[in-house]
Amino acid sequence: MTAGFFFRALVRESRGARGRLIFFVACLSVGVAAVVAVSGLSASLDEGIRGEARQLLAADLAIDGNRPLPPGLDLAKIGLAGAVRTEVRETVTIVAAPPAAPAPGQPEQPGPSQLAELKVIDGEYPFYGDLKLNPQRPLRELLRPDTAVAASDLLAHLHLRTGDTLRIGGQPFRIAGVVLSEPDRISISMTLGPRIFLSGEGFARTGLETRGSRISHRTLIKLPAGAAASLRDIQARLRQALPEMTYRIQTFRDAQPALRENISRIERFLGLVALLSLFVGGIGVAQSVRAWLAGRLDAIAVLKCLGMRPREIFPLYLGQTALLGLAGSVVGIIAGAAVQLILPSLFPDLIPAELIRPWQPGALLRGLGLGVGVALLFSLPPLSTVLRVPPARVLRREAEPLPSHRWTTALTVAVLALGVWTMASLQAHSWDLGARFTAGVALAAALLAGAAVLVSRGVRRIQRGVSSSVRSLWLRHGLASLARPGAGAMSAIVALGLGVLVVVAMSLVERRLTAELSAELPTNAPTAFLIDIQPAQWPGVEALLHKAGALHIDSVPVVMGRLAAIDGKSVEEMARAEEAEMEKAQKGEGEGAHERSAGGRHGGFGGPRQHGPGGPGGRRRWALSREQRLTYMRELPKDNVVVAGSLWSDPDHAEVSVEQEFAENLGIGLGSTLRFDIQGVPVDLKVTSLRTVDWKTFGINFFLVVEPGVLDAAPQQRLAAVLLPKGGEQRVQDLLAASYPNVTVLRIREILEKIVKVMDRIGLGIRFLGGFTVLAGIAILAGAVSAGSARRGREVALLKTLGMTRRGVAGAFAVEYALIGLVAAAIGAGGGYALAWGVITRGFELTWEIQPWPLVIALLAGVTLTVVAGLAASLRALERRPIEVLRAE
Amino acid sequence: MTTPRIELRHLTRRLPSGDRVLTILDDVDLAITPGEFVAVLGPSGSGKSTLLALMAGLDRPTSGEVLIDGAPIHELSEDQLALLRRHKIGFVFQSFQLLGNLTARENVLLPIELLGQPEPVRRADELLAAVGLEDRGHHYPSQLSGGEQQRVALARAFAARPPILLADEPTGNLDGGTGRKVLELLTDLRRREGTTLVLVTHDVAVGSMADRLIHLQDGRIEREERPGDSRAAANPAANPEGAALVAGRP
Repeated sequence: MTAGFFFRALVRESRGARGRLIFFVACLSVGVAAVVAVSGLSASLDEGIRGEARQLLAADLAIDGNRPLPPGLDLAKIGLAGAVRTEVRETVTIVAAPPAAPAPGQPEQPGPSQLAELKVIDGEYPFYGDLKLNPQRPLRELLRPDTAVAASDLLAHLHLRTGDTLRIGGQPFRIAGVVLSEPDRISISMTLGPRIFLSGEGFARTGLETRGSRISHRTLIKLPAGAAASLRDIQARLRQALPEMTYRIQTFRDAQPALRENISRIERFLGLVALLSLFVGGIGVAQSVRAWLAGRLDAIAVLKCLGMRPREIFPLYLGQTALLGLAGSVVGIIAGAAVQLILPSLFPDLIPAELIRPWQPGALLRGLGLGVGVALLFSLPPLSTVLRVPPARVLRREAEPLPSHRWTTALTVAVLALGVWTMASLQAHSWDLGARFTAGVALAAALLAGAAVLVSRGVRRIQRGVSSSVRSLWLRHGLASLARPGAGAMSAIVALGLGVLVVVAMSLVERRLTAELSAELPTNAPTAFLIDIQPAQWPGVEALLHKAGALHIDSVPVVMGRLAAIDGKSVEEMARAEEAEMEKAQKGEGEGAHERSAGGRHGGFGGPRQHGPGGPGGRRRWALSREQRLTYMRELPKDNVVVAGSLWSDPDHAEVSVEQEFAENLGIGLGSTLRFDIQGVPVDLKVTSLRTVDWKTFGINFFLVVEPGVLDAAPQQRLAAVLLPKGGEQRVQDLLAASYPNVTVLRIREILEKIVKVMDRIGLGIRFLGGFTVLAGIAILAGAVSAGSARRGREVALLKTLGMTRRGVAGAFAVEYALIGLVAAAIGAGGGYALAWGVITRGFELTWEIQPWPLVIALLAGVTLTVVAGLAASLRALERRPIEVLRAE
Repeated sequence: MTTPRIELRHLTRRLPSGDRVLTILDDVDLAITPGEFVAVLGPSGSGKSTLLALMAGLDRPTSGEVLIDGAPIHELSEDQLALLRRHKIGFVFQSFQLLGNLTARENVLLPIELLGQPEPVRRADELLAAVGLEDRGHHYPSQLSGGEQQRVALARAFAARPPILLADEPTGNLDGGTGRKVLELLTDLRRREGTTLVLVTHDVAVGSMADRLIHLQDGRIEREERPGDSRAAANPAANPEGAALVAGRP
């Protein structure tokens, strides 16, 4: 057979049964549209969430270290060509107002001073999110070598205003603006004072860098739009290029623990949605092709009779399927794009309209490839029928396709499994996950097929028993149809059952994730932290907070101390040994000596957990050398869980409870004795319990909690976390500035609101895409049922010829469809619960909660859908006069 | 003695039916010479269509052999059988079996294109003209009457110039007048192309146009006769020429 003839035959095969082709293309396109729309929406939603989350880091990536990036590091060489970077340096110093004009004859009095955090920006800042300044001008314009931009509470403390002079490192700087909020100031644990922004030249003027100050360096990186490599890949490449112990590479995902888990969840969920919608689309395709081929058996037999070999006919129908897949994909892509275009106007909170890009050539081609791939792959099992059509069918029309040869079946299954694995892996970006998905699908299909066989046999037995006792012709005929050999009930039950399985599992996972997400929303989290409160000031501050309308106040004492020894071993020596070890390791990597860590910047309360520079060595050194913050309390907050030992259980020793991971970093355990140096006084504390802390709650939490009575008399301050009504933060700051100027207010409302917004979007996304997939699944299933029912014209004609009324035929069909729907829904729903259990408990690591409603809905909807779709598809056959059908035979 | 075009040796075909085994054909011996027109007659269920299916390699015998031009075909693979049909066998069916998605001309073109013969369109048009449908080539089967469809089927059957034509009740679905016309066309074309024709029918009048009549009854050849020849044989041995052919001896 020549190529020319093949293509001519291909084109000829496409025509003729136009109506039927339109029907199948519609079936295919619903599947493809679901895949394409879900894929597009997932990408847009993911991008939206990433965009919001990126604002919390102000960049795509941040590299933290205690030294600048190596000068030889070329971002382009590690695949980051086109990336923009900004160098940020941060340090803590005392700043002061200029000296007040001395009274005549009096010496000059120094101005008031305050500990402040300097942030030096060399480049564009921020890449994402808003830096709110007053006046509202870009930071770069405000910052000159002789100007600074300072936080409003600093100015309040020092009684300064815009245009005044501030001394930093002894040098005068004109205050060019006020910082109202920073997008990436997300952890109060990093806060030692109010913020001041300086330019690089301005910082050079202060001379602070040359005086051995602890300076932390952060490189913010903005990736070019549409960067080919994923963030994970880039992170991995940077890890390879940079010594692990010196630099810590963060993506937006790592910026917030509350978001980290949920971003990861939505990514996993979107992967699941993509996989399952692909799979549901595949079921629709398989059923459509099966029904289409059922109508082509005679033509195939004729072609064989005219001398076409099976291996010539197979590619013809495979090519035909590819053409149908192409047509379905094109229609599906257009429908999918239309859904994406319409969506922002229907759900403005879900995806910002500017993120919807339905006409990306790459994405369209991917959709096309996916559609054709799914069509070809899932049509393989029904297409193998082509090989088995006996040519003798031209003489004996009742000659059905021969049983499949063992090797043909094995080959078809192998190709299908390999194809599903490849496509699932591409969708999920993981070969392992793809393999698990394929194995799960294969298992489910095998179970459903087995169940279908059992049900068919069972029905046959029941039918024999009841045939004489049951008067209803509908029921008898319905049962008989289900039980007869080659009834197609098996394929219908497997396809429907798999569809129901997907829909039920998706619905269960969606409901569970949504419930979890709403439980996790930090709606009662504090909106401001108050630090540096003197114990004597606390009653007054508390009263002031109540007056300002505080909805919730938490307060704990904070004692600063230094860890001096662990089990009698000097921590200083341990830290030195650790540092020497790291130096050695770094020299091995061709790196020189490095500066001392700015480990003191990583605190232990309030915001998210912060680790020191990456790597176990770095974390240990940071844990050892940091300035320790301790608190004391009788009962632990709710978000703390003792996982080893018991709280305040040793009457003979002063006890401390240590956060589990922090204990691991320190290399200590239950029974270890920690000696702290509290303002020169040694205090020995025995570790009697280890705790886990849920850092997502934004509550006040500490690595080290001491039993009450030990530190009560130590020099201390108080820390408060306050939930204020909207706008209350400014009022509190004004009141505190007037009465307690030493108290610093750190506002986190905007950050919280951003987090809540991202989580809301994640929740809405899960609900929407979950619902969309469920609806698409139902539409595809309806199509699959219709495809199977459309070829029953002959049966209808015969029954009518034998005297059955249309109502009677419809009734008998309804009984058959209802039974198929019931069996498929029951088995599918069972499988769906099993799949959802696996996904929820293993994939998302959440607890399993039994939800009965999806089962009830699945059973009712399964039966209704099958009956309605089946009867709707049989309508034409019911309307036709029997003679028309029988003559055509 | 020339090699028979088609030779059946002890051909038996049995089919399972529920718990029983039905014998459709029972030890049939038959030899058909090149260019011969053989009509197979018999009542429904006598095994006529099965005989035809076995000759064409559409079905496989339970035992016995089918030889085409002296070569056994029962051991050929599906692909080899398809190639055999492509090169050597044309078909005409009672229910026409035109491909509904192809026009009349495309139906006729199909076997020629499969063989890759030159100027397929010219040959197709010649044949359509020969069956009187030169103006209907662009019509689809559904737009043609039963007689017209069968004429297209005739043109298609002869398109690839097969040495053998197998016809299964070609006039069974047509009214008397149309049937006669189709039969005339069939025999004319056969003569013109020198084709061996095996025609299955239960219409004795149709059979009378054949060189030889084979009467099947319950899967066995009941008798053979040659129209115009008073000698009739209850079995092949009664006909010396037939006996020689059956035995495959010169």
